[in-house]
Amino acid sequence: MRLERLFVFPILFCLGCKPPTPAEQMDSMLSWLATARMTGDGWLRHTTPDTYSRQTLELSSERIGQIASDLLKSPPSEVDTATLDTLFTRSRIRVKAMARLIAAKNAPDFGRQLDSLDADEKLVKQLADSIEHRQ
Amino acid sequence: MKKILQVTLGIVTSVGGFLEIGSVTTAAQAGAAFGYELLWAILLGTLCLIFLVEMSGRLSAVSKHTIVAAMRERFGFPFFFIVLVGMTLVAFLVLIAELGGIGFSLQLLTGIGFPWWAIPVSLLVWLLMWKGTFGLIENGASLLGLVTISFVVAAIKLHPDWSGVAAGLAPTMPQSDKAHYGFIAVSILGASISPYLMYFYSSGAIEDKWDESYVGVNRFIAGFGMTFGGFLSMAVLIVAALALQPRGIQVDTFDQSALSMTTALPRWGFYLFAISMLFACFGAALEISLAIAYFFAQGFGWNWSEDLEPSKDARFAFVYTIIILIAAVPLVFGIDPLKVTIMSMALTAATLPLAIIPFLFLMNDPVYMGKHRNGWIGNSVVAIIIVISFVLAVISIPLQIIGG
Amino acid sequence: MDLVRDVMDKKLVDRKECEMGRVDGLVMHVGPSSQPRVTHIVVGGTTPWMRLGAPFSRISARLARLWGPKRTEPVRIPWSRVKTVGKDIKLDVLARDTGAIDWEIWIAHHIIERIPGSGTEEEE
Repeated sequence: MRLERLFVFPILFCLGCKPPTPAEQMDSMLSWLATARMTGDGWLRHTTPDTYSRQTLELSSERIGQIASDLLKSPPSEVDTATLDTLFTRSRIRVKAMARLIAAKNAPDFGRQLDSLDADEKLVKQLADSIEHRQ
Repeated sequence: MKKILQVTLGIVTSVGGFLEIGSVTTAAQAGAAFGYELLWAILLGTLCLIFLVEMSGRLSAVSKHTIVAAMRERFGFPFFFIVLVGMTLVAFLVLIAELGGIGFSLQLLTGIGFPWWAIPVSLLVWLLMWKGTFGLIENGASLLGLVTISFVVAAIKLHPDWSGVAAGLAPTMPQSDKAHYGFIAVSILGASISPYLMYFYSSGAIEDKWDESYVGVNRFIAGFGMTFGGFLSMAVLIVAALALQPRGIQVDTFDQSALSMTTALPRWGFYLFAISMLFACFGAALEISLAIAYFFAQGFGWNWSEDLEPSKDARFAFVYTIIILIAAVPLVFGIDPLKVTIMSMALTAATLPLAIIPFLFLMNDPVYMGKHRNGWIGNSVVAIIIVISFVLAVISIPLQIIGG
Repeated sequence: MDLVRDVMDKKLVDRKECEMGRVDGLVMHVGPSSQPRVTHIVVGGTTPWMRLGAPFSRISARLARLWGPKRTEPVRIPWSRVKTVGKDIKLDVLARDTGAIDWEIWIAHHIIERIPGSGTEEEE
């Protein structure tokens, strides 16, 4: 019985994976934006090393892009799709730019991008709250 | 007094059990998602392990047999073989995750991707087993594992609300996301109550030549060792609860969990996290490889000991060589150790009854235990753990699908 | 003596305390007018796999023909060589002479000793 379960598991896992809800996707998006912000903060304060910070920002940008693309396939009705798309694209590009600024060791421009990312994150949070509120 | 120094066996067992990539990941996920609400799962896992590990040590000290040897003798070859297959499959997955964890830690420190580390890391683990003695592994891994105390330092520096922490030690139902909560709870229990810990500890007691005079100190070693590990695991949860949860950061990748220590320890936190994980996963990889090799050797009746040269216990050495070699392969191809970890935790939970049920019989068998058989407390605890393990076995896979 | 409890699956050690496997089976002589008695201990080969079922036994026989010391028959040790039956079963034999550690020797010579740092197997 136990051994059968070990073999059945991978099949069940593939068939039964529950797709995330829009609210969950927005939480994921916020998580990666916050990761980018915390990493960026850490780099400016020298609490995280260059290579790790750059790689984590690149990863965050990638994940933001992935979540955005999944979310926009079946967007929530409560929010304007074009707004979401613009906001997500802007964040993704911004985080990617921040990674390049680390490579260039350009702290002043990096700081400005970080502040803008903070504003982006707040906007996404407002949109996420409106989706959650109406569900 | 000298016996107390054997506490290193307890420490290395618990570091390898509580602070390996699975436990740290699930504790960090728990803290980031639910704050202190899942501390009770770590507490429960710790209590179960204290009893199970103490019994493993007592069995070996009194009967001079390991759990596996006693299981083969008492239950026969067919039962032994079923447990061998189940245990090896699950432990092998955990080994892949640990080797990946070492690679991840090196990636954090150097920026070089973890697949590149798969082969050098596996070679190093293998070399330590090939040339090292049990004492070297036991003492070395537990000494190095002490760097994980930095998690406790970080937790204290973040000034947690201790009344909230205390409240988290009692089970509660979450307001929302019940499936995810259940999944993490099961993963924490699956990550802590790992059968390979019992097999390793029981074999370690024989390697360290314990006898009946160690029964008393074994209680201390098991109790202290597992409590040490449990505390450290709770510290990881608390740090994530205070550093990541307020920011809304979920722990989906290892990179994210590395951020948790930077709030409390700005200058060194990142490096302490990476080094702690490096040593903890290393200890775990050694422990699991040994546990699998011990299982084969003891069950089939081969020569075995880490203190012997490989040519003198050739089949034992062959088993750990082969499993380490094969475990490196998926990592070279970039399989995500975190995904392997999560799957292995659920599977450990699913196969727990197989490991625990024989215990109830062995710990009451006068042939093996003599006058040191379990009392009513010990038997009640094992019975409760068996019930927990059945519940986990039934719900772990559906929860993985729904809440994972 | 309870054969299942006291003998089956017990560890075997030789004259020099070398571990030589476990009791995988027993051969008994059942005479027309005498009590059944154990004549041999059986170690290895397809014997333990037969306890799982015939398919396992066939697979193990096939694998044994392809690889290793190419020993397909299990090792039989006369019951008269049993010195004591306790936690382990002590035998008045040398492991090497019985064939019970053929696999150990084969793996040592063909694989383990080819890797540097393995130490050399001492002649027993």
